[in-house]
Formats: sequence, C-alpha cells, structure tokens
Amino acid sequence: MNPTALASRTLAGVLSASLVGLFVLPIVALFFYAGGAGLSFAFENGGFRTALEFTLLASGLAVGVGLLTGVPLGYVLARYRFPGKGIVASIVTIPVVVPHLVVGIALLLLFAPNGPVGSFTASLGIPVFDAVGGVVLVMVYVGGSYVVLTSELAFRSVDEEVLEAARSLGAGPGEAFATVTLPAAARGILTGALLMWARGVSEVGGFLILAVAVYPSPPWGGPLTTTASVWIYGYWGIDRAAAAGASAILVLVALAIFLIVRLFDRTGLGWARGGWLP
Amino acid sequence: MSDLELFDVETERGTFHLGPVRFEVPAGTATVLLGPSGAGKTTLLRAIAGFLPLTGGSVQLDGARVDEFPPERRRFGFVPPNLGLFPQRRVRQNVRYPLSLRGAPDAERKTEDWIGRFGLEALAERFPHELSSGQRQRVAMARALAAEPRALLWDEPLAALDVESRDTLVRLLRDLLETERLPLLLVTHDPTTAFALASRLVILHSGLVRADRTPEALARGPLDRFVARFLGFENLFAPAELATAREATLAPRLAASSGPGGLAVPPEAVLWRSGGDGPHRARVAALRWTAAGWVVALRHGSLTFHTLAPGAVPGCRVGDPVTIDVDPAVVKPLVGIPAEEER
Repeated sequence: MNPTALASRTLAGVLSASLVGLFVLPIVALFFYAGGAGLSFAFENGGFRTALEFTLLASGLAVGVGLLTGVPLGYVLARYRFPGKGIVASIVTIPVVVPHLVVGIALLLLFAPNGPVGSFTASLGIPVFDAVGGVVLVMVYVGGSYVVLTSELAFRSVDEEVLEAARSLGAGPGEAFATVTLPAAARGILTGALLMWARGVSEVGGFLILAVAVYPSPPWGGPLTTTASVWIYGYWGIDRAAAAGASAILVLVALAIFLIVRLFDRTGLGWARGGWLP
Repeated sequence: MSDLELFDVETERGTFHLGPVRFEVPAGTATVLLGPSGAGKTTLLRAIAGFLPLTGGSVQLDGARVDEFPPERRRFGFVPPNLGLFPQRRVRQNVRYPLSLRGAPDAERKTEDWIGRFGLEALAERFPHELSSGQRQRVAMARALAAEPRALLWDEPLAALDVESRDTLVRLLRDLLETERLPLLLVTHDPTTAFALASRLVILHSGLVRADRTPEALARGPLDRFVARFLGFENLFAPAELATAREATLAPRLAASSGPGGLAVPPEAVLWRSGGDGPHRARVAALRWTAAGWVVALRHGSLTFHTLAPGAVPGCRVGDPVTIDVDPAVVKPLVGIPAEEER
C-alpha cells in the first residue's frame, strides 16, 4: 500500500472511531456513574417503574396512531400527484426541525384546557393538558414524521412493474396492495415505527410544557405519574446516581425493544416473503 | 383458445399519441411487435393489458370486448420488460401466486406442474435475486401461464439473454404455442427471435402500424430503411447521400437503382478483389471478425460498403487498395416512409 493510501485509510479510521467512541462512551459513563447502587435504587423505585410502564404504554399508543395515519400519508406521497403535494411533503418534515420545547408551547396554545380545541377534545373524553392524551400527542408530533418519511421511501421503492404483474395475474388493487406493496414496504415501515418509538421515549421538552404530571385514567388507571424521561430530568436535581441508574435502565429497555423488533424483522416478517398468501 | 383482436386502438402517454392500431393475433400463433425506440410498442402492450386507458377503439378476445374490464379481469398473461417478479417471494411462491389468489383447489399440483414444465425444480426455493437472467425469464413465463390467461403479452422477454438461453426459451415458447393454443403478442428488438417465433411481424413507427406481414413477405420487400436495418442490412444509402457522393465512381449507377427511400446493398452484392487496378477503386477501411466470418469495410470515396470475406483469414489488410463493383441484380431499392407516419 502506498503512503498516501495508508494515510487516507488511517485518517478515515481515526475519524470513524472518534464518532463510534462518542456514541458508546457516554453510555459506558452512564453505567459506570450509576453503579450497582444507582441501578438497583432506580429499579426498585416505584415512581420510576410506574413512569417507565406509562412511557411504554403511551409510546405504544403513539406508534399505533403514527402508523394508522402516517403509513397512508406516506403511500399517498409516494404514489400520487396532486396540487400542493410539495407543500404537504414540506409540512411533514416540520416536526423534525422545530425545537421540542416549542412543540410543547405550540400544542399547549392549541389544546389549552379553556380553549375551543382543548375543551372539545376533553368533551370527547380525551383531555390533553397534563393527561395521557397530551403525552401521546407530543409523541405523535415529534415522531410521526419518521413513519411518514420511511413509509414514503419504502412505497416508492416498490417497482411499478411488480404491481402491474400482480394486477395482470388477477389481483385487484386492494389485493395487490396487501400481497405485494405492503409486504415489500414492511421493513421500511417497521424502521419508521422504531424511530418514532425511540423519539417519543426520549422526548422531554414537549412533556415539560404540555403534560408534565399525568393522572392516567382507566384503562391506564394509576397514581400521578409522568414519563420516564421527565422523571429522570426531575430526579437529576435530587439524586444523580439514581437518575443515572434510571437512565441506564431506559437505555437497556430501548436496546431490548430494538433487538426484539430486529428479531421480529428476521422471523416474524415471514408473511412479507409470501406467508400471507401461500 | 381465443383470438386477440385490436380494432383501431388509440391511447396516449403524455404528448405521445398511439394509433389507430388494428391487427389480429390468432390463437396458437405469435405476432411480434417491432419498431424503433419510442415507436409505441410498450405503450400498446400496456394499453391492451389495461394499464393505460384507451382513447379509441377496442380490444377483443374471441369477439368479446375486454377493454372495459380492469387489468385483473382481462386475463392477459402480461410480462413486463423487467419481468415484475415478486422479490420477497421464492420461485415456487411466485408461480403459485395467481393460483392462490383465486383459491384454486389444486394450486399445489398446478404450481408443481408449471415449475416442472419450465425446468425450475432445482430453483423452486430460491428468491428471484438468486437467479440468472434466463432463469428469471422462465419463472416469469411459468407464473404468467399459471394464471391460465387467454392471451399472452410479453415485452422483451428474451432481452439480455445469451444465445443458448434465448434459443432454449424460443423452443419452449414454440412448444407452448402449440400446446396451449394461446395468442402471443411479443415485443422484441431481436430479429432472430422474431423470425424464429412470429407468424406475423407488425412494425410500429411513431405510434402507427407501418407494416403487418409474415416474416417471409417482410424479407422479400418492399423494404424501407427501418425494415432493412432490422433485417440486418448494413449498406443503406439515402438518395441524397448517393447524389452528393464524392470520388465514388459507382454512385451514379447506384443512384439510378435507388428508390424513394434510398438503396440497400446486401453484402453478397458487393464484389471485390485485391488490387486497385479496376475502374472502381476502394480501400480496406476496417476488418472485424464475426460468427459469420470476416466483415470487411471498403471505403469507396465517401461511401462505405460492408461485405464478407470467406475463409479463416481475410486475405487483405487495412489500407490495401481493392477493386470494387456492385451486382445490380441483388441490390434492393427502398420505399419511402409515408409523410403521415413521420409525425
């Protein structure tokens, strides 16, 4: 290898390693700082466990809403031409660039309990301010874009000829979508859902403004709680080792869910390879 | 068994207008659609299959209109240029797809039957990306036939295949035409495939049918520039080219034989010998080896003639002077392209 190539490779290696190090070392520091005591305190702390359970429930609900609304929007953006499509596509990316504290303020202004929109949603049994609805709303707002964007990309990558072949083989538009388009886009949609979930779980700013203290109502009935991220933020001023321990547990939960989803992607998506229609 | 008939079919794709196009593909025969890029071949196939709306005319199978149905009810075995195989499905699942869709009770048996007929047994558990081009073509054909279509519409099914794979598939297709008795409308750029399969050749140009003939009738003429090129003529001279030829003593004689579309000079019409001592002189401009032998390019003034040199060695080198002549009995005058077809 000539000296120039060796220098280039070394430089690329050092730069790459520094970024990988930046990703990993803070996590290591977190576990190191928390230590066994911090981890066990956080794990045994009823308040944190409730907050964690609530976060998982709310984020699951938010991902459900995100898939229900984001996948059709991604499909429309990928497949259809219509006036204002560029504007809609730009609007979809707004939540990615708006600071999340601002998201909380904007949502609070719109869904204020004494305002017309907030009163209306409350009358439907979906209160937003300091309520489960507010937490889900923030999670959908900050993470919904990922589902739309990845779905759009996934649908766009499905070859038009493949769909035409399915139609000529006897599949109606709905059957072609269910047996060809959706399975082909499944992996992209799953990635979007995972990104949305991760974004929702890591959110703090929006919750601090709109839904910092939540009284979950049935079926999520329970004591006053908040999201895990807000609990950690609040506890940082009280017991840093406990906050670090809770953060480490949150990291472990996130990694576990990531691994489960990837495992599902490898095995559970068998239907996407034809199991749906033998 | 059914006949496919197109009655003044018209369609549009952007600013391109196709038609009116009228021809028939009888059951058990293949009609090959030919034409330069942009002539409308793929557009016509997609319109017949139902993926482009007709703006005029009708498509009929056995005398009944099918163009009012959506693609899934037309029962055409449509194979698009890139085959449209389902990438997530294995070969067996691809072939079984149309049978599963309609809940065929003997789907398993029929799937295995088509897999066997196309020699795909050893590949049945592979995904399309694990197959060669020829193998993918066979899967697409097996899948199209498993749908029990009433007619076949295949767009460049044999493109990008090596000669052996192509010949194998051509044999398969001929057998299928005999056994299934289906009409096959095929788009190809390959003359060998066209002549091996076609009962009729339909030539499209600028969205209109320029010719609809048997291969024999097409080869015997009258020829125009496109057909001559398709048939493999290399020595095509436009009238203006002959009229303004420089230092080409043969040009006046060729111009006299030329038709409105110019003149085609088959390689066997070019007579030549070494030594530039004859009345019409040329030089060897290039030599290239082909399966048919040495092709010699002879430069006669501003005109270039390609001809064949028999034997394993060409008997000349680039730059050698030669004497050249053209056998007037073998040259083919070309007809012009009607003005309304040049839109």
